[in-house]
Amino acid sequence: MPKCMIDGKEVEFTAGENLVKVAKRAGVEIPVFCYHPGLSVVAQCRMCYVEVEKMPKLQTACSTMATEGMVVKTNSENVKKGRAGTMEFLLLNHPLDCPICDKAGECDLQDNSYGYGSAYMRGSEERRTYVDVNMGPVIQKNMNRCIHCTRCIRFGDEIAGIHEMVAIKRGNDIDITTIDGKTLQTEYAGNYSDICPTGSLTLKDFRFKKRAWMLKKTTTVCEGCSKGCNMEIQHEGDVIYRCVPLENLDVNRYWMCDEGRFNYQHTQDPTRIIEPKVKAEGGWKTISWEDGILGIKEEIDGQKPTFLVGSDLTQEELTHIKEYIALQHPGATIQHFGTPGLTSTQQDGALDQILRMKSKTSNLNGAEKLGIAPLMNDTIKADTVVVMSAGRAKLPKINAKRVIAVGVYLEGDASQFDMILPGLAFSEKDGTIVNHQGIEQKLKRAVLPRGKCKSLSEVLMLLTNKKARVGANP
Amino acid sequence: MLAQRKPGILNRFYLIEIVRGLWITLRNFLFHEKVTLQFPEQRRDYSPRYRGQHYIKTVNEVENCTACMLCPTVCPAECIHIVAGEREDKEKYPIKFEIDILRCCFCGMCEEACPKDAIKLSNIYEMSQEHREVYTKDFLLEQRGNKK
Ligand code: SF4
Ligand code: SF4
Ligand code: SF4
Ligand code: SF4
Ligand code: FES
Repeated sequence: MPKCMIDGKEVEFTAGENLVKVAKRAGVEIPVFCYHPGLSVVAQCRMCYVEVEKMPKLQTACSTMATEGMVVKTNSENVKKGRAGTMEFLLLNHPLDCPICDKAGECDLQDNSYGYGSAYMRGSEERRTYVDVNMGPVIQKNMNRCIHCTRCIRFGDEIAGIHEMVAIKRGNDIDITTIDGKTLQTEYAGNYSDICPTGSLTLKDFRFKKRAWMLKKTTTVCEGCSKGCNMEIQHEGDVIYRCVPLENLDVNRYWMCDEGRFNYQHTQDPTRIIEPKVKAEGGWKTISWEDGILGIKEEIDGQKPTFLVGSDLTQEELTHIKEYIALQHPGATIQHFGTPGLTSTQQDGALDQILRMKSKTSNLNGAEKLGIAPLMNDTIKADTVVVMSAGRAKLPKINAKRVIAVGVYLEGDASQFDMILPGLAFSEKDGTIVNHQGIEQKLKRAVLPRGKCKSLSEVLMLLTNKKARVGANP
Repeated sequence: MLAQRKPGILNRFYLIEIVRGLWITLRNFLFHEKVTLQFPEQRRDYSPRYRGQHYIKTVNEVENCTACMLCPTVCPAECIHIVAGEREDKEKYPIKFEIDILRCCFCGMCEEACPKDAIKLSNIYEMSQEHREVYTKDFLLEQRGNKK
């Protein structure tokens, strides 16, 4: 492998790698704005200056490929001066907005200014200001904070496949906006906020809710579709504030879709059923867990109910259900459901050219691997149907006498059920899901279960016990 | 075992010590300047650096605070609770600003952290109350104390 020297350290590289990547491997951080590993290189912010031996001027590390024997200095006096100069230009018109800017705390401009800029401002002229366009429901624009790195334009062109952001006018009048001031059309708009190195593009959903540094982070997987994008749930206390994608080059690269990003909202919906309930005249009646468990046992003990399991459950839960059926109701049918009109991984496929898949549940592949048959027919022979799912799987209208549900449901989706025991959503449990490529990934618990929700394993355990002895809520 | 002291006859008779002690009391009472005040009629004026009851500074009746959350971040007692919002004349402002004053340790870090010169500790020191009080935004917006 060819080698080069970065700050006196010898590093190996593969042909075609730029100096930012190579330096990172050597443990040297080169500050960047316009460069993003998932986008093309344009070298227009001039932040990533390095000094390369035998080259007369400073070079931009993002657009300079490493070559055999190259000697690079990233911390010489010249480089420091270059970076400080770039920072000064970028901050000439930048407002002192950090106290009200949602990006503060995770802002590249803030970090790089602190690390490489000057603490003093030489100019005293009035700063340039803009009137902002409405970018639609996902993104809030604040053009005053923009540093014209064009990452957003390139994201639209190269990743989202839609040319909607543009730079109009030139020089001091430059304006980064949407074509004709339209709202954003892409289903991946949330990523604009992730890649923007400043607070120019921020999430409306997250606006002023929390400061970035107050959030705890839990690495998990999106349950929005069978892609299984890696993501981080950011939460404080037991409230989820946002989800952001994590890099995984085999699955989602650096991105995630808006549906997945905002999917956490249903777990915190005020209409989510978080206490055991039975259908009563004119609505729902809240009952205790004891009554709920005893009620189900009365219905199904010694019978052969049909079990319908959502393909949004984890491998552990599905295995547990299978074992429970083999033990308690041998011979009972178990079928999986998830996306209406889609019954097997054969029919699953890409919904667009980017990430989203047709299967709107995360573990279709896993359910199939466990040998569970799909629900084909909505007329069910058994008297009682037990539905278990985690909130994503959509149950078609079924014809059965009695339907008992365990899992996550909003009041609006519960009209078919006669009894509901509340279960855990993806953010409240650990488990394994298998994505469409067959990659096993882990869900991690970020927040405690809401209300009186109980894990499926606990429910099955209670159903197996002779007497329902319900302990304190976890 | 305790050492047995054998005081002399004069020491055993405490009169001399009593007279000496009384003289100190009498001297302070008659000839020294008084250090106590007739509170509450008279009050002491503390230094402007005194850290007493909080208030949020206003300019033209608009609060300086922009709900940046630096004070709750720095507060070691975690007693400041802010909910941020947006309104016509101000992009970000605190809808709710509460200080759970019984938890406060009067360290003054909130004042030091504030980039907007908004939260301040006045020199008011009479804060005893009959109930467990939480300072609300309305209460904090009253301009009290000597810091201008
Ligand atoms: S974009 Fe960054 S530097 Fe600019 S106001 Fe926001 S946090 Fe501060
Ligand atoms: S809006 Fe953000 S990503 Fe787009 S050019 Fe400006 S700073 Fe860069
Ligand atoms: S004085 Fe100290 S303890 Fe009291 S509110 Fe301010 S930061 Fe918190
Ligand atoms: S630090 Fe100052 S501006 Fe920020 S929230 Fe506290 S009082 Fe308001
Ligand atoms: S990161 Fe290299 S020029 Fe912008």
